[in-house]
Amino acid sequence: MSTDRFRDLSNTALAGRLGVPRVPLLRRYEPGQPLLPGPALVTSVGAGRFAKPIAALVEESGQQVLDAVGEQKLAAVVVDLTAATTLDDLAAARAILTPAVRKLAPSGRLLLLGPDPAEASAGARVEAAATAQALDGLVRTIAKELRAGATANLLVVAAEAPPAAVDSAVRFFLSARSAYVDGQVVRVGVPVGSPRDPGAMDSPTLPEKPLAGRVAVVTGAARGIGAAIADTLARDGATLVVVDIPAAGENLAKVANRTGGTALQLDITAADAPERLIAHLTQRHGRLDLLVHNAGITRDKLLANMDPDRWKAVLDVNLRAQLRITEALLAEGTLLQDGSRIVCVSSQSGIGGNRGQANYVASKAGIIGMVRALAPVVAEKGVTINAVAPGFIETEMTATMPLGTREAGRRVNSLRQGGLPVDVAETIGWLGQAESGGVNGQVVRVCGQSMLGA
Amino acid sequence: MPSTPRRAAVIGGNRIPFARANGRYARASNLDMLTTTLDGLVARHGLAGERLGEVVAGAVLKHSRDFNLTREAVLGSRLAPSTPAYDVQQACGTGLEAAILVANKIALGQIESGVAGGVDTASDAPIAVNEDLRRVLVAINGARTVQQRVKLLAKLRPGQIVPDIPRNSEPRTGLSMGEHAAITAKEWGVSREAQDELAAASHRNLAAAYERGFLDDLVTPYLGLTRDDNLRPDSSVEKLAKLKPVFGTQFGDDATMTAGNSTPLTDGAALALLGSDEWAAAHKLPVLAHFVDAETAAVDYVHGRDGLLTAPVYAVPRLLERNGLTLQDFDFYEIHEAFASTVLATLKAWEDVEFAKDRLGLDAPLGPIDRSRLNVTGSSLAAGHPFAATGGRIVATLAKLLHEKGTGEGGRKARGLISICAAGGQGVVAILEAA
Amino acid sequence: MIGLYAKAAVAAVLPGRARSLPDTVLERSVTPEVGHLADYARVCGFPLGDALPLTYPHVLAFPLQVELMAGRSFPLPLPGLVHVANRIRVHRAIAPDERLEVRVRAERFAAHPRGAQVDLVAEVSVDGVRVWDGRSTYLARGAQAPTGLAGELPDLPEVDGPAAAVWQVPADTGRRYAAVSGDVNPIHLNPVTARAFGFPRAIAHGMWSAARALAALQGRVPEAATYEVGFRKPLLLPSTAELVTEQAKEGWDLAVRGRKGAVHLSGTVRRV
Repeated sequence: MSTDRFRDLSNTALAGRLGVPRVPLLRRYEPGQPLLPGPALVTSVGAGRFAKPIAALVEESGQQVLDAVGEQKLAAVVVDLTAATTLDDLAAARAILTPAVRKLAPSGRLLLLGPDPAEASAGARVEAAATAQALDGLVRTIAKELRAGATANLLVVAAEAPPAAVDSAVRFFLSARSAYVDGQVVRVGVPVGSPRDPGAMDSPTLPEKPLAGRVAVVTGAARGIGAAIADTLARDGATLVVVDIPAAGENLAKVANRTGGTALQLDITAADAPERLIAHLTQRHGRLDLLVHNAGITRDKLLANMDPDRWKAVLDVNLRAQLRITEALLAEGTLLQDGSRIVCVSSQSGIGGNRGQANYVASKAGIIGMVRALAPVVAEKGVTINAVAPGFIETEMTATMPLGTREAGRRVNSLRQGGLPVDVAETIGWLGQAESGGVNGQVVRVCGQSMLGA
Repeated sequence: MPSTPRRAAVIGGNRIPFARANGRYARASNLDMLTTTLDGLVARHGLAGERLGEVVAGAVLKHSRDFNLTREAVLGSRLAPSTPAYDVQQACGTGLEAAILVANKIALGQIESGVAGGVDTASDAPIAVNEDLRRVLVAINGARTVQQRVKLLAKLRPGQIVPDIPRNSEPRTGLSMGEHAAITAKEWGVSREAQDELAAASHRNLAAAYERGFLDDLVTPYLGLTRDDNLRPDSSVEKLAKLKPVFGTQFGDDATMTAGNSTPLTDGAALALLGSDEWAAAHKLPVLAHFVDAETAAVDYVHGRDGLLTAPVYAVPRLLERNGLTLQDFDFYEIHEAFASTVLATLKAWEDVEFAKDRLGLDAPLGPIDRSRLNVTGSSLAAGHPFAATGGRIVATLAKLLHEKGTGEGGRKARGLISICAAGGQGVVAILEAA
Repeated sequence: MIGLYAKAAVAAVLPGRARSLPDTVLERSVTPEVGHLADYARVCGFPLGDALPLTYPHVLAFPLQVELMAGRSFPLPLPGLVHVANRIRVHRAIAPDERLEVRVRAERFAAHPRGAQVDLVAEVSVDGVRVWDGRSTYLARGAQAPTGLAGELPDLPEVDGPAAAVWQVPADTGRRYAAVSGDVNPIHLNPVTARAFGFPRAIAHGMWSAARALAALQGRVPEAATYEVGFRKPLLLPSTAELVTEQAKEGWDLAVRGRKGAVHLSGTVRRV
């Protein structure tokens, strides 16, 4: 992994005197860390039904909850705007936010909850739709204005969603786990599957291990982001099956052993790959709670020079294998159960395009199409499918980029730095929880609010 | 059929790709390779932190510092350090003999799980000091005064400071294994063509096994090597026919053994995971096959009439007899290819009427085997043969083949025969049956 | 020992040599020293165990043989004597810590097609009971036996099978065996001294070849046995030699030969 020397230098006293713009050191999650490092302002505009349970959640975590801005620095600001339907409500939100952002601590969290503009549109409630959509632009702007590693994100909550539906998302966005997720808008609906009985849940009883008891498959797990995903999921209590091509077996074995999981050497493009994966899961676990489609390759060429082999290799690994494996698992019918989660790793370039990566971009955009199409299908079984779209992540791959490209990639985002593999992994861990059933068919970018493809 | 309380299950295996000597693994020690292979086995089966009944392995070429090689490998691995281990050594039979030991303990209920196999490096072979020098050094070590030491050192002459490099030859005959095999090949009239054909088939079969992903859960890459580097997928009888004989050259035009139909010196390690059915079930691990029975034989190749590598010829009939089987009752034959001629001479001996009567004491020969069932995923000629590693490779390979096949003729469980010849005129053979 | 050779060399050119064998019987009493026994075993390929190698008492008797042959009363000059045959009979296993009484005398001074031959006979007893007999036959080329009697040489079978073992015999074999046997005859020590006696290179001691061949039959030699060997072509050092063994009635026939077939030694081992 390449180190961001500029970030380190910018935080020295000398750099401060020279006026070099400071690159914030992001607060990241460590086991045992409290949800928030300081008090949180939790409030609502109108009759928001989420402010109270969220306040309770924060208090439960041991942190003070304020209902107005005072002298104290704020670790988080949560504004429930789900009842906001008018421009007056919007003005009320402004009145809360303006003083609040001034008090936001470094690596602070600003989280808005708003209504779904689509629902308002469907009901021909025009001002409500306008108000809801305004929040979208508002949160993206706040994210760009915040400094010192603070982030702003918006949960668009369906009218039918029960208060508990947002819990896992709120925990994620308030915690240090979402360090590099910024300026994102995520829709939370009615959780899929049968209503969860909190008493029977594996995880919230163990906040340190939100994935305890869950069996997770991570493809492409031998190195880079895949290995970080495996490490993070294992840290959160998951039992791992790590998959990579046989040639990567040496590293894969290391990942399996340090996560206490099993290594499955498998070329996911092989004709019998879905069958072999299913056989392994059936034999070893009898279930699959979290499938992470992470494996991906690049074979860069300008489209003008693109040959069929490069095209096929990338599409086969990055997209076709995901389609086939997911389809086979759904057809198999017993491994994926109520509460199982599928997370696909897309890419910011799959959203914004990237010069020289026609094949890669097509595959990563295709993943988003697949996720959206499968979401309602898998929901029937109580399963969700979502995508994460990493931006510039510091990996072995980016370390080999030319300096100019690397620096540009690092700095053109609101946090002015590249993300770490663990940032992608944390996001996947959140989406992989049984409690995240309200989030389905979504694409969550892990890009520090990159300007690229925004 | 021997009556044992239960049969040991073969659950899986792991090996590193085998590398030709002084190549990719030139700097890797036996301990490095064995530890890595053990870790790969742990990773494949999710055994990190697990305490196993025992780990049994060995090496033929072994440094004195590796007196507790297998235990050291366990301590360096991800297995629980409370897993006991010990070394065995039976030349090329080491790996299979280790598996027999573990299987027997499991059958007797003394342990529930175990790992068996071996490792060898011809690159990092132990080099001893010349005997004269060694004795002076031992004496110096025991000397009490500096004067005594100087006096002892002064005894050394330059000619004594020459290393002793281990030779791949039998101590009692001074002949290399290849030279011994060449004598047997001549005795049985094994043709050059037949040897080259067997060698080409070995390469073809192993290459095909890699292509179909058969080795995906048997091999873990090491030091960047992802496949056995002795494997020549494009090997052919025509290409092999061009090689010059290297063994049996005293027979002139009758010399048939080349570098192509003999195994090269190789570095590598292989292990198999065994356990009771209950242990496997409790760990949600598959039972690929069961260990049925095993037999070891030895021949007097020094002053007797038998060839160095012909002991399996004697071991197999005894094993068949005890189990009420014929040589034709098998779906797979894994006959270790020390040399192509060894395999072919073994088959000829089993077909020979006179030999059966005079030497094996049988009324009729064991008869021919269906050659399409022989070494179907290749063997040592293609993969290479790090001496002590071969048994572990074959046990895991055969167990997987049997698991794939499931049943044989008449719906009986698929059955496989392992035959490994070893230095010192020994042979280790075993029967495995699909679970 | 070197001194004895020098003394013998002087005696050889002095007049007044005896014309018949002396009646002398030389004796010594010895308990094998374990370090020496180990060195001997290592050089010849024997295991160090609870019984003396069958050929070992020969090296205990050898100094007496030389002393007898080097004397002026001995009718043949020691330099130039060639060991052509040897016969050993062991009556029972001899433990390494037994006190051995060794007696050596000469007998059978007789004609040989190429000169005269003489036997040096050694007897080894423990507490007065014979446990080992050795008879070493030496040839003096061109010499004459006074009686005109024809000497006997053992009749040994030809052995002509595949090699049971191939030996790489290193150049220092003569020096190593000299060190443990006391037989420092210059023809064994180095090429220069060997050339002085007409050999192109140093040659191996016949008794080393005999011991090495017997060692290869480890575990197959009865406790009470005879071991008879005839020395043929000298084994030049260094060289590659083959051992051929063949099971015979009540024992083994054996030969040491060169890679091209020249026979260096023929022998038989027989149960007594």
